[in-house]
Amino acid sequence: MEGSMKLEIKPLWDEVERVREESASFLTSKGLEKDAVFSLSMVVGELVENSIKYGKQGDEKALVGISLDVSGGLVTVEVTNLVDDTAYAHLARLDRTIQWIRGFQDPFEAYVERMKEVARRQMEDKESGLGLVRIAYEGRAILDFFLDESEILNVSAVLNLE
Amino acid sequence: MYEQSPPIDAQLVAGDQLIPVDTRLTSRYSLMVRFLNGNGFKDGAEFTDLLIRNQGKEIGLGPCRLICEPNIDGYAGRIVFLKEVYDLKRLVEENKVVRLQSSFLNVPLVLAHKKRVKREFKNYTSDLTYDLNVYKSLFDKLDEEYAEEAQSIRDSIQMAIINTEGVRFHRFLDDRLAELERMVKGFNRAEHESHGFYFRRQLWEIILTAPFMRRTNLKPRGYAGDSEMMSMIYENGYRGKSTFAKLMHKHPVGHPGAQAVRNRRKVIREMIRGVGDQRNPSGADPLKILSVACGPACEVQDIVQTAQDPGKYDFTLLDQDRNALQEAANGIDRVQRRLDGQVKVKYLNESVRTMLKTPNLPGKWGRFDFVYSMGLFDYLTPPVAAGVLGKLLKLLRPGGELVIGNFHVSNVSRYYMEYWLDWVLYYRTESDLKELLRGAPGDDVSVFFDETGVQMFLHVKRHESH
Repeated sequence: MEGSMKLEIKPLWDEVERVREESASFLTSKGLEKDAVFSLSMVVGELVENSIKYGKQGDEKALVGISLDVSGGLVTVEVTNLVDDTAYAHLARLDRTIQWIRGFQDPFEAYVERMKEVARRQMEDKESGLGLVRIAYEGRAILDFFLDESEILNVSAVLNLE
Repeated sequence: MYEQSPPIDAQLVAGDQLIPVDTRLTSRYSLMVRFLNGNGFKDGAEFTDLLIRNQGKEIGLGPCRLICEPNIDGYAGRIVFLKEVYDLKRLVEENKVVRLQSSFLNVPLVLAHKKRVKREFKNYTSDLTYDLNVYKSLFDKLDEEYAEEAQSIRDSIQMAIINTEGVRFHRFLDDRLAELERMVKGFNRAEHESHGFYFRRQLWEIILTAPFMRRTNLKPRGYAGDSEMMSMIYENGYRGKSTFAKLMHKHPVGHPGAQAVRNRRKVIREMIRGVGDQRNPSGADPLKILSVACGPACEVQDIVQTAQDPGKYDFTLLDQDRNALQEAANGIDRVQRRLDGQVKVKYLNESVRTMLKTPNLPGKWGRFDFVYSMGLFDYLTPPVAAGVLGKLLKLLRPGGELVIGNFHVSNVSRYYMEYWLDWVLYYRTESDLKELLRGAPGDDVSVFFDETGVQMFLHVKRHESH
C-alpha cells in the first residue's frame, strides 16, 4: 500500500518519541512487516535526534520536517532542518561518513569498524558516530543528504522493501 | 625516541604506595622511566598500575613491569604492560586510548555472521579459494623459474604465459563468476550483503594481490570509484607484482562494467565535439562545458586534440576530491604542452551534496552549453539525485544539453563488482532515471545506452526558447 506522511516538530528532545510512534503507526497502516516498522522507526528517531543536535539553535522558525513516503517498493525517510555556518564542519564530516558507510557492500562491516573506533575513544569522550552506522546496518537503509540554498539540510534514508 | 619525546606526568602504583616517575615514550608500546624522590627498583619489579595524566585527564594503564636497561640520563629502564597493551604514541599525540587488543571485542559478532551464509555458498567459496590458490602457486612457481633472466626476457616470457595459460585462467574465472551469479541472483539485499562479506573474508589474500581489487576494497580515498580506479579502468592493462597478480588485476578491468566506463568517455567526447561543431562552428565563442564529479577528466584530453581546439572550449571541472582535480590538471597540462596552447579550465573543489546550497549558481558560475556527469548519479539516492539534477538544469543555456550517466539495473558485472570488488552502486531503470527530472517542462528528454547496455545516459536538451 502506497502513501506518504509529513510532520513538523519543534527541535525538542521530548518530541523524538512521539515522531517515532507516529512513524510506526503510519508504516504499520501501509502494511509493512513488524521488523521493517521497528527498524524504520529507529531510522526516523536517529535522523530526528541528529537534526536536533546539529540544527540551528534558538530560532523560532527552525522546525524539523519529517516525511515518510512508501512507493514503488521503496520507503524514503527525509528529515529536514535549518542549519547555519556552525554546522558546515559537521556537514563535511557527515559527507565523509556517509560515503565511508556506503563504501561497504555489507553495512555490518562498517558497524564492526565503527565499534573498533568507539573502543579507541578519545580520553575526552565525544560523539560515538554510531547512529548513522545503525541506520545503515540495523535499519538496512541507504543514507544520503544535501544542503539547499535556503540552508535547509535534507538527510534521507531509503529502504528497498523488495 | 625518548630523548625527543616530551616528559609524561605519571605515577606507578605498588600496593597502596604511589611512586612519582618521569616517563617518556621510547617506543609505541613502552615507556622509559626515571624514578623520582630517590626510589629504586630491581629488574622485573611489578606494579599494579601506571597512572598517567595527559591533557588534564588521568588514566590508569594497568599492571606493568620494569625491565632495567643501562642507566642513561638517569632513566632506569622500560615499563612494559602485562595485561592491556596501549598505543602510547597515539595516547600522547592524539589523546586517544587505543587498546592493541580492541579488535578482538568484535570477534563473537564477526564469527556469528557466518551463520547467515548458505551451505551451498560456503562450498562454492571454499572450492574457489582452493582452486585460486592452486593457480596462484603454479603461476608463482613459473615466475621463479625465469626470475634470473634479464628484464626484457622476463617480460616476454611473462607475456607468453599470459597469452596461453593466462587466457585459460581468465576463462576459469568467467565460469566461476557465472556460477556465482546463478547462485546469488535470487538473494535479497540482506543476503547479498552477508554473503559478500563472507566471500571477501575467505578470498581476502587473493583480492589483495591484484592492484585494482585491492584499491576498490580498501578505498584509500574513502570512497569507491576514485580517479586512480578510473585510470586503471581506462588503462585496461596488466598491473601487479607477479603473473598471477597481473591476471587478477586484468580480469575485472576487462569486464563489461569497466568497458562501459571506457565507452562513456568516448560517448561524451563525441557528443561534446558534435555540439561544438553545431553551436560553435567558427570556434569564435568557446563552448561552455561543466563536468560534475569530473574525476581525472581524461575525456577533456580526448576532446582537445588539434592546435585549434583549445580556443573552442571553456571547461569547468568540479570534484570533491582535490587529488582528482590535480590529476585532471596534470593531464590538461600535458595537452597544453603538446599543442602549445592554453586550454580554458576552471577547477572547483566541492561536494555536490553541499554545492546545492550556493544561491544563484548561474550568476556565480555562468550558464553552460553542455553539462555532464558520468559516474556520480550511481551513488545518489532519489532525493539527492533529483535535487542535484534540478540544480544542474538551471545551469543550462537555452539550447544547451545535459547528459547524466547511471549504470542500468541489468549490469552484467553487478555481482562481480559487489562480491569481489566491494563496489555497490545505486542502479536505475530508464523510468527511474527519467523520474528524477520530476517533470521538468520545456525540454526534450531521452535515454540511451552504450554498446554494452550497462551504461545508461539521460539526455536533456533545453529548448532554444527556454
